[in-house]
Amino acid sequence: MPEGRPRESAASVGVAVPVEVRHVTKVYRGGWGLHDVSFTLPMGVIAALGGPNGSGKSTLLRCMAGLARYEGEVRLHGERLDARPGPRRAIGFLAQTVILPEHATIDEVIDLFARLRGADPQRLPLPAGFLNAGTDRIGELSGGQRHRVALAIALVGNPTLLLLDEPIASLDERGRAVFWEMLATLCERDGVTAIVSSPSPSELRAVADVGLFLDDGRLVREEDFSGVGATIMHPFPSDDEQVGS
Amino acid sequence: MTSGPTAVIASWEYRNAVRARWVLTMAVVFGLLCVTVTLLAFRTVRELGLSGIGPASATLVNLGVLLPSLMGLLLGAGSLAGAREQGLLAMICAQPLRRSQVAVGAFLGLTASLWTTLGVGFGVAMLILSGVARGADVPALVTLIGATLGVAAASVAIGVAVSSIVSSRVQAVAVAVGLWIVLSLGVDLALAALAPSVHMGPSGLLTAILINPLESGRILALLGTNFEGTALGPFGAYLITTFGRWGTVGLLVADLVAWTVGPLLLARWALPRKDL
Repeated sequence: MPEGRPRESAASVGVAVPVEVRHVTKVYRGGWGLHDVSFTLPMGVIAALGGPNGSGKSTLLRCMAGLARYEGEVRLHGERLDARPGPRRAIGFLAQTVILPEHATIDEVIDLFARLRGADPQRLPLPAGFLNAGTDRIGELSGGQRHRVALAIALVGNPTLLLLDEPIASLDERGRAVFWEMLATLCERDGVTAIVSSPSPSELRAVADVGLFLDDGRLVREEDFSGVGATIMHPFPSDDEQVGS
Repeated sequence: MTSGPTAVIASWEYRNAVRARWVLTMAVVFGLLCVTVTLLAFRTVRELGLSGIGPASATLVNLGVLLPSLMGLLLGAGSLAGAREQGLLAMICAQPLRRSQVAVGAFLGLTASLWTTLGVGFGVAMLILSGVARGADVPALVTLIGATLGVAAASVAIGVAVSSIVSSRVQAVAVAVGLWIVLSLGVDLALAALAPSVHMGPSGLLTAILINPLESGRILALLGTNFEGTALGPFGAYLITTFGRWGTVGLLVADLVAWTVGPLLLARWALPRKDL
């Protein structure tokens, strides 16, 4: 019996509009960041991005979010994600470490990102009690509460592709449960696709549909947790291979 | 140049900078220095039986060039580099906007906050000076304030450019302080050492001034206090003879604008090429 959250059918995930990552390669001065990473994901799934420290998880998410230059391409709904602002409207990104200004209030931070996206700051898909929005200053919040604010930022404007770099690291047990429930709802109800990184993806196995495992910048393993064929991942032939065949 | 995201970033930067304690501290320090300088000059004016604001404004010129330039460089240098270290820049740049808008927005917000700081200091000084100022002093005061604001804007722009290029906030601040030392002291010292040996004429001196925004601001402010240029000696006479009064002012203003726009263009080019 496969692990993962229960799914009713592959049709509900809208497989016609995949996330495409094709031959993404990132080279740092010290060596490979990512080495020819390719996969596709249907909409409406949670993908766990696993791998040891330094395996390229954050680099992959940053490349997909347009924050790092790379070779290859990333497409969402068939449209290439790059430096242009328009396509990035569909992305919600959470950095691994975010230090928000201590003197700013929660509302001000949310409002900043809502205005940047032209979105309504009041319409966040957050469950009741997840975030005590209001006039509390960031400096008065605990580490976990600050992390919740950062998570809320990633959800501003109802993005269809969530790129979350270790989103549960600072959350307590209850916070994690609420977060996973919220994410599952977003994926199933709104067709949002989420790629969630974690150095220890065992927890993600219970909630994710698929697992993508990186090691030394390479995609070394893919797992279908949900077992309903909701994910169809296949490496794309490289241009050289296409020419050769 | 200002668009939606640019204005949003500018507003955010302005609010954060004004709230930051050290900016408030600098406003108080600058205000106290302005008042002290003004009161001392005011006393001299009365003891010598003179009228007008000349002695005060001459001292304010140096104050208005040195301190705001340091503040501007530090503010600009800490902006993007600091946000990058905090992860906040990545979160912002992942939004549907161009990174060039982030650089320009940061510049606008920080410049506005620095101008607010300077406004407090100058405002208090002007209140005191109004007791001895004559109608003829108004252009000098206006030029002084304009030159100071120009130097401040150019300094912020240079700081933002530095911030968009270097890797860390510490590096950015170190480069900013180094630049300030070079621009405020180093160029003058180099000129003093080199001028006699290389027989630098007025045109060479003008070039040396134009490559230093702090010097351009200082000359501009001094021209305001002494529009005939006699306070600048033979060099002032050269400027007035060659370019005319308004031509000289225009040249110096254009130089400050170039020192603002140039670094901003550099930041607009560099930031999108940076991995966040």
